[in-house]
Amino acid sequence: MAERRTLADGIWRLVLLLWALSILFPVAWIFYQSVRTNADFFQDIWALPSAMNWSNYTKAWNGYAIGKSLLNTVYYVGVGLVLGTFLTTLNAYALTRMTFKGRKLIWGLIMLSLFLPGINALVPQYVLMKSLDLTNSLTGLIILDSFGENVFFLMLLGGFMSSLPKDLEESAHIDGATLFQTFWKIIVPLSTPGIVTVAIFKFLGLYNNFLAPFIYLSDPAKYTIGVNMYQANMKMQYTSDWVTMFAGVMIVMVPSILFYVLFQRRIMEGATMGAMKG
Amino acid sequence: MNAGHAQASRKTPGSGKAARQKAIFLIIAIAPSLLGYFLFTLYPNVMSVYYSLLQWDGLTDAKFVGLDNYAYLIKDHFVLRALVHNVVYIVAVPALTVLISLLLAYLLNNKSYKENAFYKIVYFFTNVLSTVVVALLWSFIFDGSFGLLNGFLELFGLNMNDFYWLGDTRTAIWALVIPMVWGGVGLYVVIFINAMGAIPKSLYEAAHLEGARPMEILFGITIPLIRNVIRVCVVFVVLGTLKGFEIIMILTNGGPEGSTDVVGLYMFNLAFGKEAHSYGYASAIGMFLFVILVGAKLIIDKVYPEKDVEF
Repeated sequence: MAERRTLADGIWRLVLLLWALSILFPVAWIFYQSVRTNADFFQDIWALPSAMNWSNYTKAWNGYAIGKSLLNTVYYVGVGLVLGTFLTTLNAYALTRMTFKGRKLIWGLIMLSLFLPGINALVPQYVLMKSLDLTNSLTGLIILDSFGENVFFLMLLGGFMSSLPKDLEESAHIDGATLFQTFWKIIVPLSTPGIVTVAIFKFLGLYNNFLAPFIYLSDPAKYTIGVNMYQANMKMQYTSDWVTMFAGVMIVMVPSILFYVLFQRRIMEGATMGAMKG
Repeated sequence: MNAGHAQASRKTPGSGKAARQKAIFLIIAIAPSLLGYFLFTLYPNVMSVYYSLLQWDGLTDAKFVGLDNYAYLIKDHFVLRALVHNVVYIVAVPALTVLISLLLAYLLNNKSYKENAFYKIVYFFTNVLSTVVVALLWSFIFDGSFGLLNGFLELFGLNMNDFYWLGDTRTAIWALVIPMVWGGVGLYVVIFINAMGAIPKSLYEAAHLEGARPMEILFGITIPLIRNVIRVCVVFVVLGTLKGFEIIMILTNGGPEGSTDVVGLYMFNLAFGKEAHSYGYASAIGMFLFVILVGAKLIIDKVYPEKDVEF
């Protein structure tokens, strides 16, 4: 379409710019304040820094024990991601490409989860986790998050797998491959793009998960990074060491930023896929 | 090839080794997830009905009290107050989210400004940030003594005198709407851009030839043709807003003076808050919320039915 540059265009471009600034500016502002001193910061929030005060980052890292909570997060996200993605892949294969008795029933049961809001199950779930001795444990959280069925991921990956040619398994079978070999050596490699998309969303979900770690982890030595920063902010009302807090928030944001930059295209494509299936 | 393989490659369903192998594979593939689903999702959902009939603090023995919790719920004015706030949020948040996303998506899709590609990437960024980060970011913006918002207003000569946006009963509820909308818009921009991209260009060209104004094109062509996508998004935001309370919990925990409390947060604090736990009553409120969620879906279906759209 040929565009005429008019006054309206100026306004529209300003609208677009303002929304972008509402995102970029606060992030930049917090980064900027994170390298100042508290004294400078409280005197004038706009003044330029007299010197780059990177020691706030060391203080945040040590003061909030970010290293420890980051390790916890790596364990929780890492194991949860690998286990969860593996189980989803197996499940999607069995439920979409294999025929067996009871398949329809299982699908029906899984579809039921679309109608369950989940929020009313919080209390019984907590009581159950407690009686299984899985509270205050990162492994317990991994078990809670990795086992189970996710309709969106099953449909996303199942849809991907059903587009593979039907005679793949048969020819592998004739060549003497077991089902396990067929799955591992043929289905998994061919489904990699779908598996990666699922893994990306599992990563974002796990890394950004706040409520479950908040409910289930009571020992500060087991906090994930999100819970850690929440608790640190709660204590802030007594210490008022804001520049260190800002440095902490910047550190928490780094993995999200890196991940987004690396997988930006896939995340945006996957977002529409997942949402539209709902 | 040995005898075993030969047998396995014969395609006779139910025969010996092949059938056994399939059964083992199916069990390994399906059982762990399915059991986890039964245990961690279905079972707690069923149990929440039973829990709602108990008086139980989680420590001492549970006492079966029938519908007492529900009788109390109807008279509990904290629930009513929270429900009113829920209504404010499920009207304001989806309306703003969808309107802003539609406008931004329309501009990004139909105007060929050179900066558009960059904006698409920036807008979605808020959706990869965690609730904690979004909440903390906005707590810094709304802060009274050093907040970015008051700093801005001061640049324009408006001195807010240490006004805490989240600490005042008049402004807190509206201040919370902003991070909720801000954090969600990016996803819907991407969804709407994809939906708008699927509309045939010829329709726009025809409208252009007939001299339609941009606003007429937006409301006459674009929006009617993606109405089902908009509908899905409205359902998403409404149900998400009803369920979500994390951002409120982190920013105000329902305060000041309960002016931002919502049903989900009230339930959460009854069950897991610092004071005495009441699992039974919290579960009754959970069931109440479940009914509201189903009701909300039915209302949306009624006032905004799914319709076939043809290009």
